[in-house]
Amino acid sequence: MKLRATLGYTAAGATVLAALLTPFLLYGMFSKTFASLGLHVDEVYSGGPKVRTVQEGAYSIDIHRPVYPHMLQSEKPFVQLDWRPATALPEHVSDMVDVNGTGQPDLRVSFDVPRDPKAPLRVNVEALNPRYESMRNAGKEKYSRLIVRVDDAIVVRVPIAKP
Amino acid sequence: MATDLRVLRPGKPAPRGIGRSLLLTLPIVVWSLLMFFHPGGTTDRLSLIAASMTALLMIALFFMMMRTRSTYRWRRVFFVTLGLLFPVGFIHTVIAMRGTMGIPIEEMIAGRTPFCFMPIPLLILPAAFTKSLVFPGSILPAGGMSGGGMAAMVALWLCITLVMGRGWCSYACFFGGIEEGVASVPARAKIRKTDPRWRFGPWAVLLAMVLLSLALFEPAYCMWLCPFKAVSEYVAARNTVGLLQNAIFVLLFGGLVIVLPFLTKKRTQCAWFCPFGAFQSIFNKTSIFNVKIDKERCRPCVLCQTACPTMSLTKESIAQGETLMSCTRCGACVDACPRNAVVWHIKGTGAAAKPERARLMFLYAAWAMAVMFGGSIIAQGLATLLHFVI
Repeated sequence: MKLRATLGYTAAGATVLAALLTPFLLYGMFSKTFASLGLHVDEVYSGGPKVRTVQEGAYSIDIHRPVYPHMLQSEKPFVQLDWRPATALPEHVSDMVDVNGTGQPDLRVSFDVPRDPKAPLRVNVEALNPRYESMRNAGKEKYSRLIVRVDDAIVVRVPIAKP
Repeated sequence: MATDLRVLRPGKPAPRGIGRSLLLTLPIVVWSLLMFFHPGGTTDRLSLIAASMTALLMIALFFMMMRTRSTYRWRRVFFVTLGLLFPVGFIHTVIAMRGTMGIPIEEMIAGRTPFCFMPIPLLILPAAFTKSLVFPGSILPAGGMSGGGMAAMVALWLCITLVMGRGWCSYACFFGGIEEGVASVPARAKIRKTDPRWRFGPWAVLLAMVLLSLALFEPAYCMWLCPFKAVSEYVAARNTVGLLQNAIFVLLFGGLVIVLPFLTKKRTQCAWFCPFGAFQSIFNKTSIFNVKIDKERCRPCVLCQTACPTMSLTKESIAQGETLMSCTRCGACVDACPRNAVVWHIKGTGAAAKPERARLMFLYAAWAMAVMFGGSIIAQGLATLLHFVI
């Protein structure tokens, strides 16, 4: 009984010590450990890792790896394309994009670039490859089907028809 | 003063002397100075005034806990202040940064959705199976409202949980104070009897939300059921589904955080609904501090049961000398007992072994966390108010 009590008080003392060490040691330690676990934000939100960049004069197009939703996730598979920097884009963009890297264009993407960064965006996508879905006058309906301005990039997500 | 307090609280030990109370408060004075005025901290005049006011509040409340030997009413002042000032600071920052409380999809894609602690239990299974975090935030700071990122909040949660278990819900949760404040408004409860089975509600919500989050790969609770979206931020309503989500948030907030606490004088959202609270209850098993009932001293008057804001005491648990695992360590039952039968306790020690020592050790740990985490939120809310006033 005495041993249990001693252990109890020791653990209580350690708990007080842990509280005092939190801002100076434990918080940073746990934070770094969590960040190093190799976890990543779900690609439906982040858009997946960038796999290629195509230079188009003053601006470039980043092509991301296709994203396939998990289980019952209510999104279609999609591929994300980023036009950046938005400041270097012409008033109207119309680009043929080779998404797969086969040398053949897969999509024709066209959208207007309003000078007001808060103005709503609309995009038309013509699928030249049946793997992708066409979009007409799409805004930001779903994660898998949208055009939005994120910082200095214009992000377009095109649904994949046949995974 | 000492005599008055003794008269007001018959059966309770006499208040401590002012000198001894000050001595016991000294560590919290040093800690508060460290937390609020550390080198490299804010130099903005209004923020410094807010930090000074907060430090004074936290020190004064701890002093009163030492002086009166009671915990609940002083902790409640802190907790309600936290609950009221969190939305002030948060909503002001959100509106200043993005002009609306609705999170635009652009911010989610950029990983700048602020991450609170509520989704933590929902992330575990999807992360275990796929290494994906089903939340539109960022692991590390990403500017805007991302704050310290998910890593920072998870680390804070882990530290505080290690120290307090479900004490989180009485010393750290920046939402619980709102309903505790509402519950303290009426003098008497209008609804005194409730079905005890409601206490399984949080477990049911937790189970449903964990499974739904795994199946849908989205933080289901944040998307559909969190009442506190009504006073923080919500998914921008772009369509009928968005409108429905926001209507649910407002209805749940009105019902569980305003109306029911007012009628029952209980923290009904915490006791009947909150899945994070249920999750935290698990960590009460690992926490070294708990509350015990000395069965020899106890005459089952059930004053403790009536006082408990989260309905964590039943006649059965009192007979067993324990609280339920949903106990939030708020101290209401300890303060309510006229026979000092309900006591703070360190696991492994005897039921009535130096309860004041156990209380002091718990309070030093809990108040250190409260100053560090809740204190910074109070200071931010106060600074926001000062910006409006001055």
